[in-house]
Amino acid sequence: MTISWIQAVILGIFACLASMPGMGGSVIGNYTLGRPLVAGLVCGIILGDIPTGIMVGAAMQVVYIALVTPGGTVSADVRAVSYIGIPLAMLALHSYGLDPASAKGISLATSFGAMVGTIGTVLFYGTATLNLVWQHIGWQAVEKGDFKKLYLVDMGLPWISHLICSFIPTVVMCKIGVPVVETIKTTLPMDGIPMMTLFTVGSMLPCVGIAILLKQVVNKVSDFIPFFFGFTLAASLGLNLVSVTVVAGMFAILQYNLKMTGIRAKEAALASGGSFDDDDDEEDI
Amino acid sequence: MAEKKLSKKALNKSFRNWYYGHLTCFSQEHMQTFGYLCAMLPLVEELYDTKEEQQEAMNTYTAFFNTEPQVGSVIVGVTAGLEEARANGNDDVDSETINGLRAGLMGPIAGIGDSLLVGTLIPILLGIALGLSSGGSIVGPLFYIIVWNLIVTFGMRFLYFKGYELGGKAVDVLVGEQATAIREAIVSLGTMVVGAVAATWVSVKTSFHLVNDAGEEFLNLQNQIDSVYPGLLTAAFVIFCWWLMAKKKVTPVVTMLILVAVAFVGVLLGVFNPGLQY
Repeated sequence: MTISWIQAVILGIFACLASMPGMGGSVIGNYTLGRPLVAGLVCGIILGDIPTGIMVGAAMQVVYIALVTPGGTVSADVRAVSYIGIPLAMLALHSYGLDPASAKGISLATSFGAMVGTIGTVLFYGTATLNLVWQHIGWQAVEKGDFKKLYLVDMGLPWISHLICSFIPTVVMCKIGVPVVETIKTTLPMDGIPMMTLFTVGSMLPCVGIAILLKQVVNKVSDFIPFFFGFTLAASLGLNLVSVTVVAGMFAILQYNLKMTGIRAKEAALASGGSFDDDDDEEDI
Repeated sequence: MAEKKLSKKALNKSFRNWYYGHLTCFSQEHMQTFGYLCAMLPLVEELYDTKEEQQEAMNTYTAFFNTEPQVGSVIVGVTAGLEEARANGNDDVDSETINGLRAGLMGPIAGIGDSLLVGTLIPILLGIALGLSSGGSIVGPLFYIIVWNLIVTFGMRFLYFKGYELGGKAVDVLVGEQATAIREAIVSLGTMVVGAVAATWVSVKTSFHLVNDAGEEFLNLQNQIDSVYPGLLTAAFVIFCWWLMAKKKVTPVVTMLILVAVAFVGVLLGVFNPGLQY
């Protein structure tokens, strides 16, 4: 399996669209094309092996299941994970002859994705910095009252940033990636310490993605209970994800109704003229 | 003077500009400011006839703006309503009130958006999509593409126009008591699904086992651990990563490097062995 120039160019265009900040807009770009699972489908179509693409994308998706970017700080770059990491991981799997559905295949894919994604953050900062130039042009336009130029500044000129920080890096990496994968294969034996470490790390990395998500929702120890509830449903009872969602939905409805009963009781107490202590109303959001 | 009313066409154009352009010209200095300017431009052009008035109105929106852009549509909608009121000579609305409102809302809305959309909705949809894509099936990615885009596109439209109609009251829809109850229920739903995603898709296993003189295995650590609680080792690693990041304030990248060190030592000690061979 190789990546031709045309394939590399198409991957490069998708990298421009899927970035954060990207030219596809964040709904269709970052949050659709930039998700590794969707990118797996796209890369699979471009490289002509859809099942492998989707399986590699799915493996990487777990690591980046909650790519929250509070205040514009990123720990991984979606364009690098999705449009450099996935094609190269697909190449590596073919080269090593690994089944993408096997535990080893998944480990290799996740290691690749995380490595490329972390190094790729430099592309994010590059894009954001180049955009400063266009914004400078924008401020001058606002001062002069030349408002039509704002569209060019917001939606046109950033393409130049992406040509430099998304398109070229993707095309180059996809082209030189092929010989690099081959070199790694010949110099590092599969049963050596480096490769064993790489594959072991690959199986551990998704824990980081899950933990980033938990960091968002866990404020006290009891907040872990819903997480372990879901974990137990899948690991011990063997339910699949759709079934777990249904069961979890039932509990969510119960929780909502309980909470609303409390709120309505309080409203009723207020309406009947009782002096109700309002202090616990001011919950933090 | 006739009452000025924003046309549906201008509002739609403003929404489309926000929907597409909120992050296209992002920089660390002025994150979504230019997206906001583009969203307000069609409205300002319709409401004010002279260049001077347009200039003055646009200058309001040059202030720094950054929030969670999907849920943040409501803020753009609210300012559309305020701008209309200002154009009709409402003295209560000036640049300061508009910017005070924007600055006051972008923090809370970012918090709601990040936890509800990025932290809950996307993981739930991706979790289900991952389940549907086993064996490389295209059903999974297609499910995510369709459901996510439908929910978010209609959701953003709804919030934008609710914001325009109701003004500041629209924000109560998002931060009121009932909204908080709904949000908490959805977040715990999401947390459960993520637990299941962890159990289904993450698998940390030890290869440590002991054999007796006759070559029979008498201790298989992985089986022992799983008989206590299936997937205990995976769960322990998740908690370890959470502890590093939440309690020790370690960045995700450093956490990954710590895992590399753990894996390296584990491989040397024979605790981890992915069982590779040609």
